Amino acid sequence: MNELDWTNPLIFSVAKIVAISVAFLAVMLLVALTVLAERRVLAFIQGRIGPNRVGYFGVLQPFADFIKTMVKEDLVPDQSTKFVFLLAPMIAVVTAIMAILVYPFGPTITLPFLGTIQLVIARFDVALLYVLGVTSVGVYGIALAGWSSNNKYSLMGGLRSSAQMISYELSLGLSLVGVVLLTGTLDIYSIVEQQSGWYGMNWNILYQPLGFLIYLISAIAETNRVPFDLPEAETELVAGFHTEYSSIKFLLFFNAEYINMITVSMLATTLFLGGWNGPFVEQLPILGVAYFAIKIVFFLFLYIWIRGTLPRFRFDQLMDFGWKVLIPLAIFNILITATVLFVRGS
Amino acid sequence: MITTLLFILFAGIAIGCAVAMVAQRNPLYSAISLIGVLLSLACLYVMLAAPFIAAVQVIVYAGAIMVLVVFVIMLLNVEDEEPRRNRLAFLAPTAIGLAALLIAETAFILYSVQASPYTPRDNVSNVGLTASVGTGLFTEYLLPFEITSVLLLMAIVGAMSLARRSNIISANSRVVPGSQVLPMNVLDPLASDEAAVETDSTVEARFLMGVDRLTDPNKRG
Amino acid sequence: MGPQLSWYLALSAILFTIGVVGVIIRRNVIAMFMCIELMLNAVNLTFVAFSSFFRDVTGQLFVFIVMTVAAAEAAVGLGIIIAIFRNRETLDVDEASILKL
Repeated sequence: MNELDWTNPLIFSVAKIVAISVAFLAVMLLVALTVLAERRVLAFIQGRIGPNRVGYFGVLQPFADFIKTMVKEDLVPDQSTKFVFLLAPMIAVVTAIMAILVYPFGPTITLPFLGTIQLVIARFDVALLYVLGVTSVGVYGIALAGWSSNNKYSLMGGLRSSAQMISYELSLGLSLVGVVLLTGTLDIYSIVEQQSGWYGMNWNILYQPLGFLIYLISAIAETNRVPFDLPEAETELVAGFHTEYSSIKFLLFFNAEYINMITVSMLATTLFLGGWNGPFVEQLPILGVAYFAIKIVFFLFLYIWIRGTLPRFRFDQLMDFGWKVLIPLAIFNILITATVLFVRGS
Repeated sequence: MITTLLFILFAGIAIGCAVAMVAQRNPLYSAISLIGVLLSLACLYVMLAAPFIAAVQVIVYAGAIMVLVVFVIMLLNVEDEEPRRNRLAFLAPTAIGLAALLIAETAFILYSVQASPYTPRDNVSNVGLTASVGTGLFTEYLLPFEITSVLLLMAIVGAMSLARRSNIISANSRVVPGSQVLPMNVLDPLASDEAAVETDSTVEARFLMGVDRLTDPNKRG
Repeated sequence: MGPQLSWYLALSAILFTIGVVGVIIRRNVIAMFMCIELMLNAVNLTFVAFSSFFRDVTGQLFVFIVMTVAAAEAAVGLGIIIAIFRNRETLDVDEASILKL
């Protein structure tokens, strides 16, 4: 037969398993590259050279770090909350990686023997709410880590970090409501499809500049990065909620932070920058994957650039900014968007 | 077949976590078990073709309400519950009898539902999609929706007025911006009749958060 | 032929019963509150099951409202619990047996 029958449950399951494995490997490689890129780019911003000894341009440095951290001693606190101590990094990394299920990596491509496939792992109606839900559950990893370490610095860091995350989740969700009003659907695949054509003039960033800005700031706060990384900065609360973690569990938290950065960048590109759209995508659909990767790398570079440039907020300044500035701005953005749509529609 | 297996899996997880929640003595473990129940119920809602309600359950229930409960447990430093003596042990035979009666009634209901003719329904339904939920919420059920928003406003005002503490900042103290509230005799040494004021930051923090009013750090030393 | 409506109703009844048992057995007031949330969730499951099997969206709208009410109740209830803790230093409801603090 010429093409595969995708409605066959066995072929469907195998295809999904292959898709999940490919996406997982790609995200893990991207995490390794981001770790290296952060050290190199920060070094260049600060006037020095980063690690470049291990492999060409230091490409094997993250793997060397991984091996070094794996063979360190795994410390577990000697009191009764061991189960929660083990559970917290698992929650953090599982909820971080679950969010990549709904992002389209490229347009519908047609392969010779496999037929037409959509380059997305799961396409369903409430994809955007799924991403927000998974982000909400990720707060538990940090709160439980801070509590179970039996250490007052970890507890303060964990409580501050989770308070910050739940505050900025609100402005994150509200800033996305403008995009949902424009496109009329919560399905991320459809949102990306609606931004194609018109030589890039249909990208949502042109229609929602304030929403994009609020989203970017909320995303940086949500992933606990500079300038919002007071709860886990080394000069502040020792290392915040992951003070007592070592070896593999620390690696899981570390990975969770970078995977969160990547998923938040993916959400920004799919919702505001047009996802896989770019020049000549209709003629050569496989270029869509390259454009998607380029846009994600741009956002990661933006993260690292901001880290090297800005000082960090004090915690009360951070919470004031989230509640008193970003949420009213996001509601204002929704108001303006809804009014414009109503006036244009009538 | 697969849906039956998935139902048994999620129902098993829900019942297991619920029993764990009731049986655990540590309230933090109870909270984690309740989060497990909520997530498995969200999976069951997806199986019932209600994806919007499943997403709202994860975001609101598991992601906000339970975070609030976990914060309160951590703030109040709740200890494990002590097991107490079973004072109603003489009622055990009655309990077993009534439980047997309940199981018999349930079995009869399930049997009679099973024995009734089965009307197959088509597999396509767009009842649970966001569009239909939104349409119903804003057309036919607009009044409950608006009243619910007023209810949330009431809850915000109520929670704030319950949690607010008065009389922590007394009349003879001065607030230094960016730091903690200090009594006057610390800021102005000439106004003090004590040689030194010593405070313990942890006790001070607990006092300021209002958690234990019974020890007043200003009266120590 | 997947899971029937009666299976979902039976699961909801079991969860509700576990919640009731929890409210009666537990003495910690936060644990009692969590068992009340479990009862609310069992009722939500009943609503969604009926809405799915009868193809009526009203059940899901009611679940939406119940979740909102549960959120409001959680906020105010936990505020009350914190106020009780401030005055009594304990979260045991058996100790709160007289009106005097």
